[in-house]
Amino acid sequence: MSLIWTLAIRGLTLLGVLFVVLIMLVVALGATGFSDRMLRAIIGEEVRGLRTSLAQTIRDPDQLEATLEARRRDLESFYGLERPWYSRLPSMVLRVVKLDLGSARTLRSFDGSSRVTDLVLERLPYTMMLITTASVITAVLGLWAGVKLATRAGTALDRLSSYLSAVSYAVPAWWAGILLILLLAFRLHLLPAGGLYSTPPPEGGLARFLDLLWHAVLPIFTLVAVSLGAWVYTVRTMVLNTAQEFFVTVARAKGLPEGRVMRRYILRVASPPIVTNLVLGLAGSLGGAILTETVFNWPGMGRLFYEAIITADENLVVALTFMFTLLYVAARFVLEVLYVALDPRIRYGSRT
Amino acid sequence: MNPRDVTQVLLSTGSGRVGAVFLTTLVLVSLFVLIRFPLDFGPTRWNNPASWADNPKAAAPAWTRLWQGNQAIGHRVYQSQEPSASTPLADLEQRTYTFSYDYGGGRAPTLMALSVVDVRFASRPTVLTLQVRRPDGRTLTLYQTVVRGPREGETPPYLRFQDAPLRVNLSSDGDAAARVREFYAQQMGVALTVEALQGRITHAVFGTPIEGAPGQFQPLPGAYQFTLTAVTGASSDVIGNVKLVMGGSVYGVMGTDTLGRDLALGLLFGFPVALTIGIATSVFATIIGASLGMLSGYMAGKTDLVIQRFTDIWSNVPLLPILIFLIFILGQKLWLVVVLMILFGWPGLTIVVRSMVLQLRSGQLVEATQALGASKVRIMFRHLLFQIAPFIFAQMIFFTPGAILAEASLSFLGLGDPSIPTWGQILENGFRTGAVYVGYWWWVLPPGLLIVVTAMTFVLLTLGLEPVVNPRLRENR
Repeated sequence: MSLIWTLAIRGLTLLGVLFVVLIMLVVALGATGFSDRMLRAIIGEEVRGLRTSLAQTIRDPDQLEATLEARRRDLESFYGLERPWYSRLPSMVLRVVKLDLGSARTLRSFDGSSRVTDLVLERLPYTMMLITTASVITAVLGLWAGVKLATRAGTALDRLSSYLSAVSYAVPAWWAGILLILLLAFRLHLLPAGGLYSTPPPEGGLARFLDLLWHAVLPIFTLVAVSLGAWVYTVRTMVLNTAQEFFVTVARAKGLPEGRVMRRYILRVASPPIVTNLVLGLAGSLGGAILTETVFNWPGMGRLFYEAIITADENLVVALTFMFTLLYVAARFVLEVLYVALDPRIRYGSRT
Repeated sequence: MNPRDVTQVLLSTGSGRVGAVFLTTLVLVSLFVLIRFPLDFGPTRWNNPASWADNPKAAAPAWTRLWQGNQAIGHRVYQSQEPSASTPLADLEQRTYTFSYDYGGGRAPTLMALSVVDVRFASRPTVLTLQVRRPDGRTLTLYQTVVRGPREGETPPYLRFQDAPLRVNLSSDGDAAARVREFYAQQMGVALTVEALQGRITHAVFGTPIEGAPGQFQPLPGAYQFTLTAVTGASSDVIGNVKLVMGGSVYGVMGTDTLGRDLALGLLFGFPVALTIGIATSVFATIIGASLGMLSGYMAGKTDLVIQRFTDIWSNVPLLPILIFLIFILGQKLWLVVVLMILFGWPGLTIVVRSMVLQLRSGQLVEATQALGASKVRIMFRHLLFQIAPFIFAQMIFFTPGAILAEASLSFLGLGDPSIPTWGQILENGFRTGAVYVGYWWWVLPPGLLIVVTAMTFVLLTLGLEPVVNPRLRENR
């Protein structure tokens, strides 16, 4: 019972986060008059579409104008434009959630659609690909290296790692990306500098896929490189802390093999706090993805965010802010479930 | 622990010492900049193309000559307030300003510009002529003008070029091109087409034509003597300042960007800006976070619950997307960035401080003070705060680089405050104009390096402060 209860509390908190962000979005949009402008643009678009279709049937220009004007007024009252902005908040929240934000100003999706929904949903898989791959690699490498370091605590290598983690905290992902482009792509010509495929893209499904992977190497490497240091350090510290507990000494005294002690006694106990730290680092890696995609011209939501800012496209910025929050909240929830699964104390109802 | 002990512990660790040295350097440079730079450096200098017109564009730092050798050419600026000679000429006066330029062959100067400021005359308009005497003995007139005469209703002395100087970019000036063509036709017997001289005026001035290759010039090394002759009507006439610029392919300590801006100045200005962003954000976020944490931990009950729930939600808002959105909607203002980072930065500390206060609250010290009848406020600020102060201080320093990095990220996405140049903005400029792809490394490496070093400074200080926060480490030392 308490398991569901804990998850429900965490879920509610995360829903609260989503709610707070949504409220911030619509209040900022409403109070600055942005939402009015967005709605007027949507209405204008619709009326323009109507004009071209009505011009076929209604010949009299005065009558046409009158019909269009009536339609415009209908739409304005439908969207609530004659009411103050705060009375439209619920409908505005709904529109943001449905990504029903009209069309982008200049940006187009790969097949030419300018609808915000199409654009964002089309870029989502590329961002997911980048973030998930980088996170998995970082987690695996971090666990491996952290455990290795913990067994060599106090050595020069260990001290070096603590400095490296400090460096990794201080190096912004985008600058690391620029460095890597300068070095690996332009000096040594080892890897492509950016983009999704080579020009022209290779023929055939497999070749195309390999080309995509080839282009993903540098962005993923950058994301891993900037977050690995801190992550290794966290794992190492958690493992070291647990390794000093008495039950570990007892396990060793029983003559259990060192690998088994590490896996079943140390890592198992240290895993909840390690996951907690993974959770805490998540927001950072999400932000890192926005910047890394920008640097490597990786056509995910992050690059789209940058393009939306550069072209001052309000609808897109709103949609992407929401999408990134949604992505964050979803990933957080997955980790919360993982946490509950890992920490038996929660399952048996004792306090954490 | 009192501040002196904290400093002592900090300086006893290696990372603390390095951090302290870095911090001192950062502060000293910032102070220097605050004293020497105008506060409106951004709008009046940095973003004002006129103030960089005489600089070479996208020039590497001057010290790259160490390996560029003869390929690079230095940037030379000649200025003079006083003429090198003045001779009476009937009822006129002729003043000459002489500058000699040593050209070593190789690349021709990237820019050749003449500026004259503040010309005053009583009756006859001043006549200005710029000539260059080449090593082959030939003399080439590059420029000649008569300062504008009196206007209707104007009374002497007539003031010219007071606010905006007379500035001619001879390396792209059509009139100068015509004069070069005339020179080549008359003195060398070579007819140059207009196209052949397009963008190559300096090559022609500092070279000789190559037979059979129109538009190609053989560099002519040697001493070039530039003479500006000013013929004035009276000796009381004034010529304020004469400036001749020979643009190099390298410039200054840090080079220039594609607008000719001296990157060294922009980078210098970034020091106090970065420090202010980091320190202002961390100080205020720490104050809010620590106060709420103590309140939450000590008051318990409803206050605690409300603060806890709110902190839980607030701490989970993903910072960068929200920052991007709010700055995009509310306007690109640096103070706004700082305020927003404070608003979103405090919850982490609240959670930790709360748990620390919960532990301390049940301790004997608090119980004893309560028994003495001390008020809640007194206990919180006099007794609890002092016990956790070193920890809060360390957290404050730990939070500083986060703020600096977040601002840099925002700037890099093009959301920087346009009136205040920062390292992130310089990098963004370089990235957006493709400096990365054409190899202008001096434009993108130094600002990033400065961001990293500044952030590292605070990380090192935090590492150095660890024994302060964690007394066990202190005893083991």
